[in-house]
Amino acid sequence: MFSVPNLLADEASGLFFPESASTFSQQSDTVFYAITIVCVLFFIPITIALFGFASKYKKAKGEQAESQVDHNTKLELIWSVGPSFLLIAMFYFGARGFMEQRTIPEGAYEIGVKATRWNWSFNYGGTTQNSELHVVKDEPTKLVMTADTVIHSLFIPAFRVKKDVVPGRFNYMWFRATKASEKLSDEELAARKQVYKDASESWSYEKEGYTEDGYAFYDLYCTEYCGKDHSMMQTVVVVHETREELEAWVEEKGKRQPGVDPVTYGRKLYESRGCKSCHSLEPGVKLAGPSYAGSFGTSRELTDGSSVTMDYGYIKESIEDPKAKIVKGYAGVNMPSYKGMLSTDDIYCLAQFIKSLNPNAAKQEAEEADSGAAVAETGTEADVTSASE
Amino acid sequence: MSAGKISSGSEIDDPGYPTPEENYLTNSKGLLSWIFTLDHKRIGVMYLVGVSVAFLVAGLLAIGIRLHLMSPDGWFLETGAVKAITGDKPTNDVYNQVFTLHGAIMVFLFIIPSVPAALGNFLVPIMLGAKDVAFPRLNLSSFYLWMFGAFFFISALLASGLDTGWTFYTPYSTTSNTSVILATSGAFILGFSSIFTGLNFIVTINTMRPPGMTWFRMPLFLWATYATSIIQVLATPVLGITLLLLIAERTMHIGIFDPQYNGDPVTFQHFFWFYSHPAVYIMILPAFGVISELISVHSHKRIFGYRFVAYSSIAIALLGFLVWGHHMFTSGMSPVTTIIFSALTFSVSVPSAIKVFNWLATMYKGSISLTTPMVYAIVFIFLFTIGGLTGLHLGTLATDQHLHDSYFVVAHFHFVMVGGTLVAFLGGVFHWWPKMFGKMYSEKGGIASAALVFIGFLVTFLPQFILGSRGMPRRYATYDPEFQTLHVASSIGSLILGLGLFVALFVLLKSLFSKERAPANMWGGATLEWACTSPPPFYNFQRAPAVDDPYDFTDIVWDSVSERYVRVEPERKLAPEEQPAHAGE
Repeated sequence: MFSVPNLLADEASGLFFPESASTFSQQSDTVFYAITIVCVLFFIPITIALFGFASKYKKAKGEQAESQVDHNTKLELIWSVGPSFLLIAMFYFGARGFMEQRTIPEGAYEIGVKATRWNWSFNYGGTTQNSELHVVKDEPTKLVMTADTVIHSLFIPAFRVKKDVVPGRFNYMWFRATKASEKLSDEELAARKQVYKDASESWSYEKEGYTEDGYAFYDLYCTEYCGKDHSMMQTVVVVHETREELEAWVEEKGKRQPGVDPVTYGRKLYESRGCKSCHSLEPGVKLAGPSYAGSFGTSRELTDGSSVTMDYGYIKESIEDPKAKIVKGYAGVNMPSYKGMLSTDDIYCLAQFIKSLNPNAAKQEAEEADSGAAVAETGTEADVTSASE
Repeated sequence: MSAGKISSGSEIDDPGYPTPEENYLTNSKGLLSWIFTLDHKRIGVMYLVGVSVAFLVAGLLAIGIRLHLMSPDGWFLETGAVKAITGDKPTNDVYNQVFTLHGAIMVFLFIIPSVPAALGNFLVPIMLGAKDVAFPRLNLSSFYLWMFGAFFFISALLASGLDTGWTFYTPYSTTSNTSVILATSGAFILGFSSIFTGLNFIVTINTMRPPGMTWFRMPLFLWATYATSIIQVLATPVLGITLLLLIAERTMHIGIFDPQYNGDPVTFQHFFWFYSHPAVYIMILPAFGVISELISVHSHKRIFGYRFVAYSSIAIALLGFLVWGHHMFTSGMSPVTTIIFSALTFSVSVPSAIKVFNWLATMYKGSISLTTPMVYAIVFIFLFTIGGLTGLHLGTLATDQHLHDSYFVVAHFHFVMVGGTLVAFLGGVFHWWPKMFGKMYSEKGGIASAALVFIGFLVTFLPQFILGSRGMPRRYATYDPEFQTLHVASSIGSLILGLGLFVALFVLLKSLFSKERAPANMWGGATLEWACTSPPPFYNFQRAPAVDDPYDFTDIVWDSVSERYVRVEPERKLAPEEQPAHAGE
């Protein structure tokens, strides 16, 4: 419906732009280049006149000017009205491109976006929430976005789209990705993962250039200033070749896979569900919340002066109702509730992961029986069994 | 043209006559004579010192930002020297406070008062041939309000800092645990300072123009000041209201801006930009006025299209009130509103373009002296043109979706605010310095400073356009390694720019110790300030000066014997068509 001949917008990454990977990026770049050409066409004569006059009419002190002409109405009208036509053209093409961005096609694949400080959470329906944005090539994707406390803004440079994510309201955005993400071969991915496993480090997107599932990605930034880790509020966009591939990925992300042990899965949840932005894994490193290191099984002093043992039950309560028992020194920290967003198996895995961070946890082995009972009440035991089958 | 021209009668004020022993700087002595002065010139000088100190502080913060961004993970604010001051505060928090204070101090304490309050105070009454502004006491109180506001900003800095960005967006600002109330109170008080200055100038220009100075015989600097004053008086109260509402939301949770109490954060953005966009014109219009004077005087030629330039100032002032929404193109405003704001935004670009063309036409066939102020004026036109043109990419909706809140925006407004306003301010200071202090600086030094500022500026901010269009978001304490090369280039540029500014400061301060006195009409200007001695006497003029055409340079000639510009007697003047190419005798 809208097509500007794509004269300059290069498919590959040029000087001015990152890779172009959505239908909007080609349009937007064409408009950008067209405006830039107009600007250059104005700028060159202005500069020539500026420096040319400055050198040509440079005179010794006291010499009178050659002319004292002080107006020329015709000329002034021409340079006042003339450029207006170009401005109208810019406005027109800009507004058309914008209207297309604001007109969401029917049947777009819908993904919920929740922005918190300083994490992105993408809701794919069901229990699948992930910190990565996965979409399908050539199909429209619609994002329904909101934030919890402050304003964020979702920006995907490769798609040339941006929209503020405002607490208290839903903002929408849509785009049609045009280039599927390249995928590493399974062997290559396994080899790379092994390196991290051996070094017991977590996967580096930046160093690898691929997600942990082996996909190349586009950057996604927060562009509305939101506080301390604003510049770290980044994630990745992966474009799948087919809808089936995307749905398979969503399906997989929704649950713990057979053969994945709870500690590993717990670590994954810790990284993907936002825990890591506020809870460090290093002893003594205070982020917004307490560090997980060496905490499991210890007695925690609370803000009201009482204390509680950090066991499965307390972890579950803190995830679902974070304000119930706040550890001393963290009053006023507003952790959102994850009630209904994590299955009991997820919580069990997280607890297992936290437990693995305490080298002294073996000592508390004896208390395990009690905690085990608490977990059993909530049905986690059943989930665990079914998941590990 | 020369019909009705009256000889500039006052003997003592005539250029070429010996400078009187007493001037506004020496007519009374002691600190108290400055603290309680009602003299617009002294108030102008105090403002000049004040805004320069604010600029120095905010400029050093800018250097801190640039040095920090040398490395993708941040460098400078991590170093031991900085950590010794900031303690165990997380580096990113420190960075956020540094860029917030850089922006807030630059905008509220430097750019807004720079040209109007410092140069305007000194020049407006003299250009009108008047003894002072209409309300001298209001004028002094405006300066003290500025000091008071600055004090609040410093208190905020020393208390728990400020991390909201200079825009104070809600709900961040209603929930931040930094000194938001202190800082917004400071901005509120500074708003009154700005209103007082604007009100004073409006009344002064309306009521104190001398006989013979019709609206269209006013120097263009006065037109620009008048247009600016209108904005200051009409828009600033909205900022005051907005900041009070913000304080009320923070302390009493009245539920207007914070969704937590059923408020709407986007409402704050509308309120804030309703002031802050016109404020952009408070920042740039006076600069236009300065440049119109500089180009005309140093080209020794009538300003081209006086009426278009004058009207364009008023047009900008009025249209400037209608375009605030273009700061919010990605906020989720309705498409219709967004498109209307885009259209209005394009309309405001026309009057700015007109001015550039008129300045160039003024230079055409002029007799250009490449003095320091003229070099700054040329730098201004070059940089402002880039700043203006890149505004088109941002006013265009489709491209703004990509560029909004990226470094492209940062580069764009620095081209306008620094390449535009700051350069014009410096040009203006160099132009009127000999008038203000009666001392001439080293031209070589002045031109060297302009060259360094020019080069440093381009190296700092050109890479930021590309950073922005490549997707680098603004207000980032850390960034992806792919952006590093351009960031490092920008940081190096900022050091050159800083050096240039220090050279300018040094050249100006050094001139104060020079023995040689500047003549009354240093550059051959025709506006009234060049008809009084340098520095002007306390009452500016012994007798009301005769009002002349402010841009008629034909009877101002260079006297090579006394080495100064003198005004020839009107009866000796030839009609324009009889003018020889070289009118000097």
